[in-house]
Amino acid sequence: MLKKISINKISELAAALMGKGLLLAPVKENSGYNFAEIKNPNQVDLDFHNTIASPKAAFFPHKEDFIKYETGKPIGAASVIGLSLPPTFLFGVRPCDVKSFGIMDIHFNASGIIDPYWKQRREVTTIFGYAFDLEKPAETEEFYQTLGIGAADPEGSDVFMIKKGDDLLLDSVTAKGEKLLAELKNFAEGKVTDKKYYDEYIKKGREYKTRSMCLEPEAITKKLEDLFHNTDFWMGVSSACLSCGICTFVCPTCYCFDICDDTLFGQGTRRRVWDACMFTDFTLEASGHNPRTHVYQRLRQKVCHKYSFHVRKYGVISCVGCGRCTKHCPVNIDIYSIIEDAMKA
Amino acid sequence: MINKNPYIPAPVEITKIIDEVDTHDIKTFRLAFLNKEDEANFKYLPGQFAELSIYGKGESPIGIASSPTQTGYIEFTVQRAGAVVPGLVTSALHDLDEGAKIGIRGPLGNSWPIEFLEKKNIVVVGGGFAFTTLRSLINYMLHDDNRKRFGEVTVIYGARNPGLLLYKDELAAWEKRDDIKSIITVDKGDEAWRGREGFVPAVCKETAPSPKNAVAVICGPPVMIKFTLPVFFELGFSKENILTSLEMRMKCGIGKCGRCNVGYKYVCSDGPVFSLAELDNLPRDF
Amino acid sequence: MTDFKQIENNLKKEAKRLLEAGEVTVVLAYGRGYDEKHSMPFAAKTSADVEKLVFNEYCNFNMARYLMRYPCGTKIAIAAKAADSRAIVQLIQEEKVRREDLIILGIPAYGMKNQKTDEVVDSKTTCGLYNPPLYNILLGEEVHGQPVVSPYEVLAEYEAMDKEARWAFWKKEFDKCIRCYACRKACPMCYCDPCFIDQSKPRWADKAPQSPGNMMYHLTRFHHLAGRCIDCGECSRACPVDIPLYLFHKKVAKECEEMFGQAAGMKLEDKPVLVDFRVEDSDKILE
Repeated sequence: MLKKISINKISELAAALMGKGLLLAPVKENSGYNFAEIKNPNQVDLDFHNTIASPKAAFFPHKEDFIKYETGKPIGAASVIGLSLPPTFLFGVRPCDVKSFGIMDIHFNASGIIDPYWKQRREVTTIFGYAFDLEKPAETEEFYQTLGIGAADPEGSDVFMIKKGDDLLLDSVTAKGEKLLAELKNFAEGKVTDKKYYDEYIKKGREYKTRSMCLEPEAITKKLEDLFHNTDFWMGVSSACLSCGICTFVCPTCYCFDICDDTLFGQGTRRRVWDACMFTDFTLEASGHNPRTHVYQRLRQKVCHKYSFHVRKYGVISCVGCGRCTKHCPVNIDIYSIIEDAMKA
Repeated sequence: MINKNPYIPAPVEITKIIDEVDTHDIKTFRLAFLNKEDEANFKYLPGQFAELSIYGKGESPIGIASSPTQTGYIEFTVQRAGAVVPGLVTSALHDLDEGAKIGIRGPLGNSWPIEFLEKKNIVVVGGGFAFTTLRSLINYMLHDDNRKRFGEVTVIYGARNPGLLLYKDELAAWEKRDDIKSIITVDKGDEAWRGREGFVPAVCKETAPSPKNAVAVICGPPVMIKFTLPVFFELGFSKENILTSLEMRMKCGIGKCGRCNVGYKYVCSDGPVFSLAELDNLPRDF
Repeated sequence: MTDFKQIENNLKKEAKRLLEAGEVTVVLAYGRGYDEKHSMPFAAKTSADVEKLVFNEYCNFNMARYLMRYPCGTKIAIAAKAADSRAIVQLIQEEKVRREDLIILGIPAYGMKNQKTDEVVDSKTTCGLYNPPLYNILLGEEVHGQPVVSPYEVLAEYEAMDKEARWAFWKKEFDKCIRCYACRKACPMCYCDPCFIDQSKPRWADKAPQSPGNMMYHLTRFHHLAGRCIDCGECSRACPVDIPLYLFHKKVAKECEEMFGQAAGMKLEDKPVLVDFRVEDSDKILE
């Protein structure tokens, strides 16, 4: 059942969602947009291209507290921090980012031991996907078409939204989305012409052009396996790399984390925080041995993990072509170019 | 898994501390669960490891040194790190007394493949501190309930000097048994040492175990591995029949944090036990 | 004043000559990135590499930070704008690199632009100098006749804030920090291994991206750079959440200059201010 709402009434929808739980949507900061908790319904702004950081923090926050402890107290005094999550609405997620949730699901929620934090956050969250504006060109850095993702791809969303002039069309994709749309009173019913527009838009989205190359997961997996010990190649593509963590932190599909005990004046929290394979001491062992002392080894790990190891382990490339890593890299390293060069090497 | 939430450690008490070596930086900690339910859920096989947890310091992945045939407790042999990196957890552990309580998450990782080893002759080769999970395997195989499932058991274990040998009492006991061929060697003996002198690779060559229906299980420092593997290739052992246990920096221990990968495998969950044939298919990134 | 295209041609010419003559084994400069606007730091080692060299108004990268990656004694040619050249001077003062191992290809640059915002890169966010103080070869004519604005002029608004206001200002800014450490890695003077923030004994700050760890990291880093920061602005440009790190660096640099009469990275014969002791040094630091 297609629904319609005027874009200048979005704050009413926002208020309704805030009344039901926690609303996370893109908010303008001075450097760009980022997903944040909406405190004022007028904050919701759909006039953005994409956020600086990906929305993965909704399910995999930058910091997740596990246990509170006091040093010097018996182990029994430590208390597990329970997760009490309100119903959460993740509003305005671009199709490439929605796709990333499915990829991360395989790792956190469907392989071996289930990660209870990811699982719970996924369960309480309803995703409002948001199609890219097909009238505007893609950003230079984006290449999600290469990964088979359409600019108006509803897959993975619970509700999918498409702009039509001054209106926003919303359709349910899952039962969860359908239930929510039925509960909300802010909409007009979509007309037949709206439905036609909606379906056409999704189709047009598949032809929408971003940077693109022919990329078979099996082909790039094998190519990178063969290239692994080609030091010249990796030193060439990594010579500018600073070994910071920006690419990892803005990426929708990077999931490395550290577990640390943070203590201050005897009271502490065991928690996990985002980590990055790009950091120099990521693989530093207690013996002092570090398998990845050089920048080229770490960049090799990043690229091979995403385009080769992840395919071998989980069957899909761990990248959605959002372009954030390239866009925010201080030295303009471009994973798309690296993959292109690898295929040609 | 002893906890619904795999990141939460279960409480254990240190019931016994054994000083293993004369440099006093390797100790065996005997741990007993505080909760019966946790104990019942901690079902492990030789080769697996656990994360030992001390709040305020962190966690450390340590191989389980006891055999599951030893009931009521689990043992971990821990070296105090601190020569190169601070070794927060291991040094805190070493500073604890019997009766102290710490946390444990596990059992983690895969194990020595018991089914694969059954009915075969097992050659266990260990060097220095890396002997811990091999000891677990040996005690498992030697147990009355299990001995008949395995063929001949040969152990070649070496340390730099007699003082650095682990589990000295057990080594002496094995030498007296006739269902295990136990060859203990040191790089350099002292005045009291009556046993063998020689590097582990050389002793392997002299012992020349037969590859027929045999599996070699080899753990040791990189330099020992480097010179021991060629001996076994020359003896005719195939790569499928040589097993080892890898070490990498670990944090979650359950294959989620992404840190310990070698190629597409996570050492904490797809390993730490790998055959050399498997390692051949992985990049040399360790 | 030479235009950037001409500087690029001169860069290629010199790089080719130096590599072919064997005077250097690597030329640290800029190369083409994924499009015209987005060039990259580039290490040219062969004649084929030289063809890939570029120079345009977006080439803000401070190549001095890559010097520490090469073993001592490597003969390196390095493209250096004003602040980059100061970084090299500072590294020589700190004995991290030897003068005789470097051929500095000085680039007098006026009109550099920020590739993210297209704003002019000037004394508001960098040291504001146009001409490199130290070089072997100049790749263009020195810039003269352009306004020279004090790099501390931008501090007027900041200095008008009292202590409480400044603390609140930085708390708000550092709450944005995601601890990506791009600032540290972009900085030519942050070469410590291990960096204090990575040490676990003692653990100076916790890892979570929040106060007080964020404050501890940044304030400590600012002070480690006192008298050493050459105001290239790379840290601020690298920051993905636009924290105005340059404000604090400039403030500390201004105080050091007032107290010790010396700016970082200007003269080879200088010693770093917090390493050198002179009887006449100001006692103001004790106040």
